Amino acid sequence: MPVGIVDLDNTTTTRSLIRTLDAFQTSRVAAYYPNVNDARQAIQRNEIFAFLYIPKGTTEELLASRQPKISFYYSNVTLLAGGTLFKDLTTISLLGSAAVGSAKLSALGKTEDEIAAFLQPIHMDLHMINNPSANYNVYLSTVMVPGVIMMFIFLITVYSIGTELKFKRSKQWLKLANNRIWPAVIGKLLPQTCIFLTFMSVYSWYLYGYLNFPHPGGIGMILLLSVLTVLASQAFGVFIFGLMPSLRMSMSICSLWAVLGFSLSGATYPVTSMSPMLEAVAQMIPLRHYFMIYQICIFNGFPLIDAWWNVVVLCAIICLPVFTMMNIKRAMLQYVYIP
Amino acid sequence: MCFIWLQEMKTVVKDEGALIFFILLPLGYPLLYSWIYNNEVVQEVPVAVVDLSHSKSSREFIQKFNASSSVEAKYYCNNLAEAQSLIGKQAVHGILYFPADFDHRLYRGESATVGVYCDMSLMLNYKAILSSAQAVSMSMGHELTVSKSPSFTKRDEEVSSKPLDFDEVPIFNATGGYGNAIIPAVLVLILQQALLLGIGMSAGTARENSRYQDLVPISKHYNGIFRIVFGKSMCYFMIYAVMGAYITMCVPRFFSFTSMVHATDLIGLMIPYLLSCIFFGMMLSCLVRYRENVMLLVVFTSVPMLFLSGISWPQTNIPGAWQGVSWLIPSTFGIRGYLRISSMGGTLHDIQPEYQALWIQTLVYFLMTCLVYRFQIIRARRHALEAKKALK
Repeated sequence: MPVGIVDLDNTTTTRSLIRTLDAFQTSRVAAYYPNVNDARQAIQRNEIFAFLYIPKGTTEELLASRQPKISFYYSNVTLLAGGTLFKDLTTISLLGSAAVGSAKLSALGKTEDEIAAFLQPIHMDLHMINNPSANYNVYLSTVMVPGVIMMFIFLITVYSIGTELKFKRSKQWLKLANNRIWPAVIGKLLPQTCIFLTFMSVYSWYLYGYLNFPHPGGIGMILLLSVLTVLASQAFGVFIFGLMPSLRMSMSICSLWAVLGFSLSGATYPVTSMSPMLEAVAQMIPLRHYFMIYQICIFNGFPLIDAWWNVVVLCAIICLPVFTMMNIKRAMLQYVYIP
Repeated sequence: MCFIWLQEMKTVVKDEGALIFFILLPLGYPLLYSWIYNNEVVQEVPVAVVDLSHSKSSREFIQKFNASSSVEAKYYCNNLAEAQSLIGKQAVHGILYFPADFDHRLYRGESATVGVYCDMSLMLNYKAILSSAQAVSMSMGHELTVSKSPSFTKRDEEVSSKPLDFDEVPIFNATGGYGNAIIPAVLVLILQQALLLGIGMSAGTARENSRYQDLVPISKHYNGIFRIVFGKSMCYFMIYAVMGAYITMCVPRFFSFTSMVHATDLIGLMIPYLLSCIFFGMMLSCLVRYRENVMLLVVFTSVPMLFLSGISWPQTNIPGAWQGVSWLIPSTFGIRGYLRISSMGGTLHDIQPEYQALWIQTLVYFLMTCLVYRFQIIRARRHALEAKKALK
């Protein structure tokens, strides 16, 4: 990520500091600016995400041990870039400090171990469980793609039932099932279930098999979650259509619900930090439960019982059409599509 | 032209579907999203503590850690396995582990280790835990260094423990809030998606109402290309000038998001943005046969479009091919431009590339729309002539 430099001191010390910064994996020194204002404008033009400001006389004061001050400015407008550069620039500033300290201590005749312990008495041992490189793709693809698939299932389910009504084939459709709504709907949706399941399996294989995303939960759990997801999404679509047997309205509701799910699933911004009312709303969103089961059972590899609530809710969603099936039947036999 | 404008206005108000997407969606959705992200930062992330050292320094560490607003030491466990099962139950999102020799090592002058285990399933929780632990370990380490260093005066201590002082200044989005980072982008995207949906819907309706599923009705008013294109786009533009003002100015004000925008810059950006969205939508609307299909099309693309704008994964790190795709979409430039003038207080001059790209898009999509409509008019006439022949 591009970083700017405002180096008013321009000595060997500051230049070596800048070279070290350039050597970091995540930051690249993109440009030098004559003053802070120019650097700020470069941020506004999106040329850099952060810049390091070294005032005049830094080296001089450093050698005279008068504790000079350098500053770095970073933009949080793209949160990820801000966070990463913040880490790098903190490290570089600490390194600058440590370099001086260690030179002084070694002059006093301390060993290297002593110097390390003196400069950093408490060492932090960070374990990033299951995602040691903080790979962003692991966050993104594991929730956003299933979210899109679920949205797809919602809409296709509603669309395929609704078009029967729209093109005035509904009575004929029901006649094929001897006017019983259950065989009609199940028969219609079963081939789709197979297709969606295949789709989910291919996606899971690509993610966990090919890209090798962390999945200590094992393949059984992944398959179970796929089945639950597909069935719950289809059932949700049927339920919504049963509530509002108008193709347009139910499709609108489904798409709004699905889009809202991306935020309320809590995969980006945790649900526990939202307002309590929204926490309750999030329980009604299938993607939320998908995410919880995924992160507890697949990503972290805990037993299924830890996510029992989410499994129960998904099962409940699968049962939802029971309440609206009669309504669908009535709509199919009586309603007329109004454009 | 005026007649077409009036007709279009009437369909927007009368048609239930178009009304939802044209008016209600841009009114309601921004409020909902702002509400979701209104808390901005994560606070009091629960953390389990496994303290095998049971010493004064480990307790001091925990106290300081607990004092941070972003984390909370909620459970004290006897071993790591117990703490791990708490993560499984989602009771905590991280573990702080003090080995038995933590205190010993510290006072023996060796470097002591504190283990931080993070549940990586949520980026923001991980960041909160990491940054708090880092801050505490640094400040405690600093105190220890000071107490051990051979110095005479207070100032001497400060200088020897930290020869090079530094300041970290978050220059834009100073709170580091999630809402402030993502809401402006979502707002601008909602404008585009609502327009695409609305235009697609009304085009779908026009086709369904027409006898031969043509986009353009046969009537003496629908004769010229420019007449149709200008008439329709004027209607959409009038509605969305109001909506755009509401979304880009009122909504951030309601939820007190950062907004450093100046009137001239905003108008300068929004006019080409809305126009390019309108013509983009009108161009795409010829693809729509049935009114419901447009929903399938637009809803799916909204999430990828948001990511393509470089809002969460920085623009510089998006692969080239995807960058190319993103140039076709008005929202890419709209979002980037709006972020820069709103969150960073830039001027039109600062967003010149985006601004120019939007005008280019407007022009290109306008010409494309004219072509598409010309084709549609010819088709409608042919259908009409065929029908006439058949009647004879």
